[in-house]
Amino acid sequence: MSAANGRETGNVEGRHPLIELDHGTGGGMSQELIAELIAPRLGSVHRGRMEDSAVLGIESERIAVTTDSFVIDPIFFGNGDIGKLAVCGTVNDLAVSGAMPRYLTLALVLEEGFPIADLERVLDSVREAASVAEVAIVAGDTKVVRGGEIDKIFINTTGIGEVHREVELGMGQVSPGDAVIVTGWLGNHSIHILSIREGLGFEGRILSDCAPLDGLVWNLLEEHPDQVHCMRDVTRGGLGTVLNELADGAGVTVAIDHERLPIQRETAMAADMLGVNPLYLANEGCLCLFVDGEAAAEIVETVRLQPHGRAAEIVGSVVERGESAVRMRSAGGGEAAVEVLYGAELPRLC
Amino acid sequence: MARCAVLTNDLQYDLVNKNEDRRAAVAAFTPKMTEFLARMRALNVPIVHLQLINREDDPRAERYDGWLPVTKGSDGARIMAEFLAEGDTIVEKNKDSGFYETDLDERLKELGVDTVAITGMQTQICVQTTAADGFFRGYNVIVPSDAVVSAREEDQARALEWLRSYCATIMTTEELVAAVEADEVPQFSTVAIP
Repeated sequence: MSAANGRETGNVEGRHPLIELDHGTGGGMSQELIAELIAPRLGSVHRGRMEDSAVLGIESERIAVTTDSFVIDPIFFGNGDIGKLAVCGTVNDLAVSGAMPRYLTLALVLEEGFPIADLERVLDSVREAASVAEVAIVAGDTKVVRGGEIDKIFINTTGIGEVHREVELGMGQVSPGDAVIVTGWLGNHSIHILSIREGLGFEGRILSDCAPLDGLVWNLLEEHPDQVHCMRDVTRGGLGTVLNELADGAGVTVAIDHERLPIQRETAMAADMLGVNPLYLANEGCLCLFVDGEAAAEIVETVRLQPHGRAAEIVGSVVERGESAVRMRSAGGGEAAVEVLYGAELPRLC
Repeated sequence: MARCAVLTNDLQYDLVNKNEDRRAAVAAFTPKMTEFLARMRALNVPIVHLQLINREDDPRAERYDGWLPVTKGSDGARIMAEFLAEGDTIVEKNKDSGFYETDLDERLKELGVDTVAITGMQTQICVQTTAADGFFRGYNVIVPSDAVVSAREEDQARALEWLRSYCATIMTTEELVAAVEADEVPQFSTVAIP
């Protein structure tokens, strides 16, 4: 068997087609799994030296660090899998901080009996996503637990990014007059995953938006270095949660227009059928940007030129400082509060 | 000339007998439904029964008080006798939509079907998802309002409204039979989301 980079990956699958407890004990089978399958499968994005820690070069005075765990069910979906998600989720969290993603760790928790062939698929996705995002996997860990103690595979990734910008990004930079831009269709990841779980028939029309957005962010920051004030990754809890966190953190009122929200027709159909609000559905490749209001039209055009930004829209603005609130205006002129979501979110979407 | 097929959903002993509400709702709809199926068979319209089969290893399959209904080969999984006739087709499915990971689409295409009349139980779950999936796959979707059933009327009313808004023509069985006889089956036209 050979990995995509042409290196031999040994015949771990031939000897042990399923993950066994001994693959995680640190003994010979663990070493075999790592040396003959995981490292070769990751190919050139893997820079680990199999030592106790990785010693890394950094070309900036400041770094950004983030960590996330991925437990999505199902682990394979229409246009991605848990491996792609584990890279993109962490890369995007670094990117929205204005950091250039450089390094990732990769920790795998595997269920006894998990097929090696599925692990190979996941590792291939990790390699491809890391390659696109230009991040190196510099350290890792593999544990195995008994059948039933987890569901197939859980992944944790920790990301390190270099912060070269002098202009700060963050909630503290947001002020009245800023425009709010959403870079992609809202809710597609949630609906895609839910449709696969339940066989609802929407999964072929609504794909997950899971994608690394570091390229989009860097293009944006190069083109508009001073006009972008804050960026947030729209993941669990959806846009409604991101806006409420921003309103609380910055002490501002945000107003959005329902009609301007980028919602795919099929997603609106599914949400209406399921009785869920797209405002609170999760994405895995969508950003919410707070930008200089006067530059917003130009910025949204910059975003739309990017492959993962074609659906970008200006959806509202920061209207005043003082009251922390989010309001949504309807086409008919009505206005309603966008409340904080408490605990009603669907589980295991990422 | 439209080539129509009737799809029924989940008209199986275990599922219909889940509770008294379902039994009563199905009992009320059975005379009209069986008459409709007979008239469509007489017009050479294919009847395809979508048969939900729960897999033992599916953690999401709904259990009834701890037991798994409609398992493969069980009596409870059978299509109820009053709805089944010689020449009908049964397509096994494992999820809500009849198209999801089944060969329904291929079978319908082989028959030259371009219009599906989606019927059965329950309107707000399997009828709704099969209708949406069929619509996305390019079928003209019709839902006969008196050939679908839900345990609760309000669920049925809401589902029919959703279907009418997004993907299906809603008409009665009487109207549909007449339309097939006259070769004037209506085409659903997409309505913009308000």
